[in-house]
Amino acid sequence: MDQTQLRELESRCIQEEQPFCTAACPIHVDVRAFMAALAKDDVCEARKILDRTMPFPEIVGRLCDAPCRRACKRGEIGDPLAIGRLERFCVSRTGPMLKLPKLPAKGGRVAVLGAGLSGMTAALDLARKGRPTTLIAPDGEIGGRLRLLPESDVPGEALVQARKLLEGYGVAIVTGGPLGGAIGEFAARLAGEYDAVYCDLEDVEMAGIPDPLTLAVGGGNCFAGGGPGADSGFSTIKQVEDGRRAALSIERFLQKVSLTAQRDREGSCATRMATVIDRIPPAAEIRPTDPAGGYTPAEAVAEAGRCIQCECMECVKQCAYLREYKEYPKTLVRKIYNNLAIVQGTRSANKTINACSLCGQCTVICPHDFPVAELCRATRQEMVDTGHMPPSPHDFALEDMRFSLSEACRLSRHQPGHATSRFLFYPGCQLAGSSPELVTRTYEFLAEKLEGGVGLMLGCCGIPAHWAGQHALFTETLDALRAEVVRMGRPTVIAACSSCLAIFGEQAPELSVTSLWELLDGLELPAGQGPRPPAALALHDPCTARHRADLRASVRSLCAKLNLAVVEPGFGGALADCCGYGGLMQFANQPLGEKAAQVKAERSPGDGLAYCAMCRDNLAAAGRPMAHLLDYLFGQTGDPDPLARANPGFSGRHENRARLKERLLARLWQEEPMPRPAHAAMPLAMSPEIAALLDRRLILEEDVRKVIAHAESSGRYLIDPATGHRLASFRPVRVTYWIEYEPADAGYRIHNGYSHRMRLPEETP
Amino acid sequence: MTSFSFAETTAWQCAGCDLPLQPAEVKVSYLNSVFNVELMVCPGCGFVLVPESLATGKMLAVEQLLEDK
Ligand code: SF4
Ligand SMILES: [Zn+2]
Repeated sequence: MDQTQLRELESRCIQEEQPFCTAACPIHVDVRAFMAALAKDDVCEARKILDRTMPFPEIVGRLCDAPCRRACKRGEIGDPLAIGRLERFCVSRTGPMLKLPKLPAKGGRVAVLGAGLSGMTAALDLARKGRPTTLIAPDGEIGGRLRLLPESDVPGEALVQARKLLEGYGVAIVTGGPLGGAIGEFAARLAGEYDAVYCDLEDVEMAGIPDPLTLAVGGGNCFAGGGPGADSGFSTIKQVEDGRRAALSIERFLQKVSLTAQRDREGSCATRMATVIDRIPPAAEIRPTDPAGGYTPAEAVAEAGRCIQCECMECVKQCAYLREYKEYPKTLVRKIYNNLAIVQGTRSANKTINACSLCGQCTVICPHDFPVAELCRATRQEMVDTGHMPPSPHDFALEDMRFSLSEACRLSRHQPGHATSRFLFYPGCQLAGSSPELVTRTYEFLAEKLEGGVGLMLGCCGIPAHWAGQHALFTETLDALRAEVVRMGRPTVIAACSSCLAIFGEQAPELSVTSLWELLDGLELPAGQGPRPPAALALHDPCTARHRADLRASVRSLCAKLNLAVVEPGFGGALADCCGYGGLMQFANQPLGEKAAQVKAERSPGDGLAYCAMCRDNLAAAGRPMAHLLDYLFGQTGDPDPLARANPGFSGRHENRARLKERLLARLWQEEPMPRPAHAAMPLAMSPEIAALLDRRLILEEDVRKVIAHAESSGRYLIDPATGHRLASFRPVRVTYWIEYEPADAGYRIHNGYSHRMRLPEETP
Repeated sequence: MTSFSFAETTAWQCAGCDLPLQPAEVKVSYLNSVFNVELMVCPGCGFVLVPESLATGKMLAVEQLLEDK
């Protein structure tokens, strides 16, 4: 990722855009934070927020005409916040809380002619920047027309404080002005004596109209602003805005940099913020019981509590991953960029990058289609390519994929009795691992119903490698699959898994592919004979069917034809959550994968129906009764209740895949299965708790057998004389497995298992 | 190189040598790092015990740390 890509991505996320009020405020007061503080009854914190941006809060906080109020999002659901009244509440109950720093004194003498609020603001801002500033009040008093206001609007004390503040920052307040002479002449003289001059048009009249962006008059060192606006109305906040804008112009002028570059965010400006208010109940403005006295503390808390704290966060609200890592896309992309830039040191975002499920839900939700999934996937590929991908997050899933592709599981055959195939059924690795029996029944049904020969292919489309950023392995896998389809005579591939479909669609568009569901929807259906659900099931779309409205419609049509009542969970269809398998999330961050499955299951209260084998298994593992659509299409009398089927676990899936091939070969093609390794026949006994522990620790029964076979044949194991248990280890490739067991009956009883990647001295690989 | 001790008395004995395990310094390695640690080892044949608590605790933490280097 380079800087340009970073900036482009950053700009797509609007979470850091200003809320509507702050954008509308000419000096961008952080109204949202101000409201949050007041809602917590923390007036002091609220005052700090004003002090940070607002000059003379005791004056401006009382008189601000609050143009932000018109922009307030609350206005769309009730009344806009009474921002002005809350400011008055705050400043009337607090003194100054923050003293902003004064920068070290530098050169560049500035005269401010006229001491209305805009002149005062300009003088204050320039003095804080370290410019020696002289504020010339024609009659020696500051405040201009503020002095005419009744004590109830601005107490005289506020002006006394303001004067002290100015003097505290070193502003010299002097009396002066044209004594008989024309103001123009006087200003011209000042322009000669000082490095820059600002004229407050409230106090002095001047010929020439200031440039609206810079407030420069006449191209020299003279600036002017303040006073009544073009509509001759007098806006308090406009005085402040002009004074501040002029101070910034003068600072630029003195630094000899562009007066105009990048100033579009000064003053009221547009914001790209998007805040969804659908689920927020309307609420009317709280009015003070005593209008003259203003809010009571309780009223202020209630009114500020109406603030909806405008932000976007729409993706984060739905995504378990972003919530877990406390990121929104903009912070995430920065983190990833920094992680990639690390040359030496800890790459602390590795886990974050590998934990995204790559499901793309956020991109559908985002008003600017922020591509978190593609960002994380491409980053993984970059990590693999540069040798910075840690091995542990993906090793197991990639081994699992290699097993699906190995001779033990892979298969491709024309239909028995056919030399060619018009179709090719491709159930995918996970359906074969989860429901081998349903694969067989589906295949037999297709072979019977479709003309022209239906071949069968077992294997894996390579998506785990794609998710892991293993580009070479993925390409090799998909190329082999492609070549096999070509060798079979380019039949139409009937894919049951929406992940395979997504891969074929994106990466092998030249293949002729259809989804099993669309195809079945066009056929006369078998009357599923198995147990039926007692109540309507929540239909869980997989995340990989997000962009396949056609496929999702076929599934619903099939359910209707089967008289299978379904309910739509919140966040299905294009917004469906991932079950935790996507992007190999559950391997990179196991607890998060479990959380994701939980979130998906909880989108609906009832039992569920899935048509992705991984969703089926993961939601079942999360404790939710969950059937697969094929259970009801091809169920048979005497089948166990599909809703009660447990997650087969990784060992179960391995065994299912291998057995599926053996059985199909024997039953349909009358072929002898490949001999299995000797240790495969070793009988193992273990409690369900130990089976679950091994599954969580990603230890396959195959590995258990290897450890025991090695220990028993070499005689190298430990023994606990008290229990007779044995403890042995073996490192087939990159992981050392430890198994605690004892001989039992003809085989072994397993008591424990764990693993590590660190290598012991006697281990060679 | 500092050496950490994870040697703790254990009920496990070497079955082949019929000997109790004893603390001994062992070189373990991961990725490009090598550590000297003290573990329980069979004095006869050198069989090294990695107990469950170590494998799922400190050792796992170090593995993860090294993976992110
Ligand atoms: S609701 Fe709150 S954050 Fe949103 S615009 Fe209004 S004051 Fe600002
Ligand atoms: Zn020994």
